Amino acid sequence: MTSRFKKILSILLIGLYLFPFGYLLLLSVSRSWRFPALWPDNVTLSNWSDLLAGQGELAGSLLVSVIISISVAVFSTLFGFATSKFIAYSKYRKQLMLYSYFPFVLSPVIYAACIYYFFIILDLSGSVPGVMIAQLIIAYPYAVIIFSGFWSDRIKSMEHLVAGLGGKKWDTYVRVLFPAARDMLLICFFQTFLISWFEYGLTSLIGVGKVQTLTIKVFQFIQEANIYHAALASCLLIFPPVLFLLFNKKYIFKTKA
Amino acid sequence: MLQLNNISKSFGSNRVLNDISFSAESGKTLSILGRSGCGKTTLLKTVAGILEPDRGNVTLNGKDVHAMVPFKREIVYLYQETLLFPHMNVFDNIAFGLKVRKMDEDTIRRKTSRMLEELGLEELAGRMPTEISGGQKQRAALGRALVVNPDVLLLDEPFGNLDVKTRASMQQLFKQVARKFKMVSLFVTHDLKEAILMGERIALMQEGHLQMFDSRESFVQAPDTGVDDEIAFWNSLK
Repeated sequence: MTSRFKKILSILLIGLYLFPFGYLLLLSVSRSWRFPALWPDNVTLSNWSDLLAGQGELAGSLLVSVIISISVAVFSTLFGFATSKFIAYSKYRKQLMLYSYFPFVLSPVIYAACIYYFFIILDLSGSVPGVMIAQLIIAYPYAVIIFSGFWSDRIKSMEHLVAGLGGKKWDTYVRVLFPAARDMLLICFFQTFLISWFEYGLTSLIGVGKVQTLTIKVFQFIQEANIYHAALASCLLIFPPVLFLLFNKKYIFKTKA
Repeated sequence: MLQLNNISKSFGSNRVLNDISFSAESGKTLSILGRSGCGKTTLLKTVAGILEPDRGNVTLNGKDVHAMVPFKREIVYLYQETLLFPHMNVFDNIAFGLKVRKMDEDTIRRKTSRMLEELGLEELAGRMPTEISGGQKQRAALGRALVVNPDVLLLDEPFGNLDVKTRASMQQLFKQVARKFKMVSLFVTHDLKEAILMGERIALMQEGHLQMFDSRESFVQAPDTGVDDEIAFWNSLK
């Protein structure tokens, strides 16, 4: 393969990869773009300025999505870390690990539908906390599974060593365990954030249309054939994961190198 | 003074420690020789308070070790694996015990630098654990344990992973520092020569029983320590 051909192929692949993003961005600044026109008739930043000014439904959805996803990611990461430790050192480790796979064996939506009754009687249906709890049904066991590989006899010995050197539980976590698991914690936070961010089935089931996350909005705009707002919502949907990806690249891959 | 009184420990039906009693004085090293699986590590973990004995108790300066909270026991356990904290450099690893004791920055810097000097690690202070050799790691781990001046140092075959030359130099180094720091040292090994070299007193552990020897001579003369076999082997090569 000649170097020129390789270069053309690389440009083509990068172009193919970036095309949907460019297309979405262009759609988001359009008001009217009808077939067979190659360029929108009316290009305007009004959709974006409405959003930045806090007007329209999307700004509210963005805020709700950010609150839900960050809460789910923080809770899953911290409690997943603690739970995985408890499971790893338990004599019932195998059984308990099996239970953490349970929400994935049964589809999360079916699982949520089975326990929907409890959401209603606890008055959580159609509320932000209800959606958070529903999303935790998948994000939390996922975090437990990610961290299960961290705990070992070596880590246990390190914990004993910290105590021997005069460290309290707090020192063990803050000075040794969290820094030693830093990459895993970041990856878990990122993954659980993404699970929550793009979650549709559970959110629509438990949120019953009252909790309008960005993902729900995108589907709603598509169903309404409002492609310009759907594109704007999609751009917003992509933005935080791209930010996290850059952050991960900077802090995780840099330290590995 | 470390005192073990009638310690017994079983895992299921397997009795690993059987009515073990002995005392160890400060400033002296007790070598415990035994084959793999004879209960040496279980004994050290029981002394460290990591494992609870089924029967008997361990006292340190008159206080029951298991009644004390782990971070106040002043017992440091050195494993065969160095367990240097991977996210800290050599200096921070050695300084760890001083930092968690909330000592002031100047004291930490002074004590750590002195320890680095003592162990010949000054040049490596800024290196990460992945950037130093096995022997250097073991020295750093020893420094991290010694800098807090513990009452008891438990060494579980700490030099087992090192090559012969590095092992010999580490043994020498340990002898030097053990004399200097007035603490009780229990040195567990399966290596006969190392047991004789390291300990002022020697004990033999077999199937959960511990046999103490008053002197090195009595250990060498005892029939089941393996010394006779060793001598016979070397004589056969002459």
